[in-house]
Amino acid sequence: MIYVAYIFMIIGCFFAFAGTVGVLRMPDAYCRMQSSTNIATLGTLGALLGGFIFSLTLKNTSMALKILFIAIFIIITNPVAGHAICKAAYKSGVKAEKLTCDDYGRDFPNE
Amino acid sequence: MKSTKFSSIFSTFIFCYLFWILFTWTFTSQELITGAVVSFLVAVLTARFFIHQNAFHLFNPVRFFNLVLYIFVFLKELWKANVDVAKRALNPNLPINPGIVKVPVGLESEYGMSMLANSITLTPGTITMDITEENGKNYFYIHWIDVAEKDREKAGDAIKGTLENWIRRIWK
Repeated sequence: MIYVAYIFMIIGCFFAFAGTVGVLRMPDAYCRMQSSTNIATLGTLGALLGGFIFSLTLKNTSMALKILFIAIFIIITNPVAGHAICKAAYKSGVKAEKLTCDDYGRDFPNE
Repeated sequence: MKSTKFSSIFSTFIFCYLFWILFTWTFTSQELITGAVVSFLVAVLTARFFIHQNAFHLFNPVRFFNLVLYIFVFLKELWKANVDVAKRALNPNLPINPGIVKVPVGLESEYGMSMLANSITLTPGTITMDITEENGKNYFYIHWIDVAEKDREKAGDAIKGTLENWIRRIWK
């Protein structure tokens, strides 16, 4: 049982690593945001799920429930911040490198 | 300002109280009474921001069951998208092809649209930037890391996948 927790934590670490490499390598702000979602979703969720199973092996139900709620609140609040940052970056004039198509810029040329 | 109905206050109260109990996880009468008072106050003050439609929409067992099933469908999509973006980030050639596409959405309720937008943002590789309404139809502007389709309908199918149909079963 405890090894399952370790496996989930290792998966979380791997995706956090991949996300960090992505943040460092991606060319512009928007693509970096895409890569950082990697950390926010499977990175944290993997680690939290590992912690959840770990606290179940300790027979600590209240800790397990709190970890589950942390995961739920991350899932609810993270995307709201994500698209607020993305839209704010676009409106404040952060340039994207080599966009294949830009429907937003075509529909709102002044922003 | 809209007047708050009793039903919406009541369902917000249930929601808050459930979270209180699950967070504290102690069942002494002191804790339970304080929780009830606090969640009632919160419900009275915030019900009109929290609930805009039928207050007991989710208390239907079929919809609730679909919501629970949706979590698993979403986790599967999340895993696929995560592996895809992790591969792109770790690939020496950095194979990305970013762009912002406009995608039509077939959902009507506010909750359904925000749930779909949040699901799209949570899957790596796609971020919803904005929502607009044109001629009674809603559109998302989505930043997509690998634009495979420039056509709106096809791009929409590729991004939304089965998620939209699942959300329609919950929120219509």
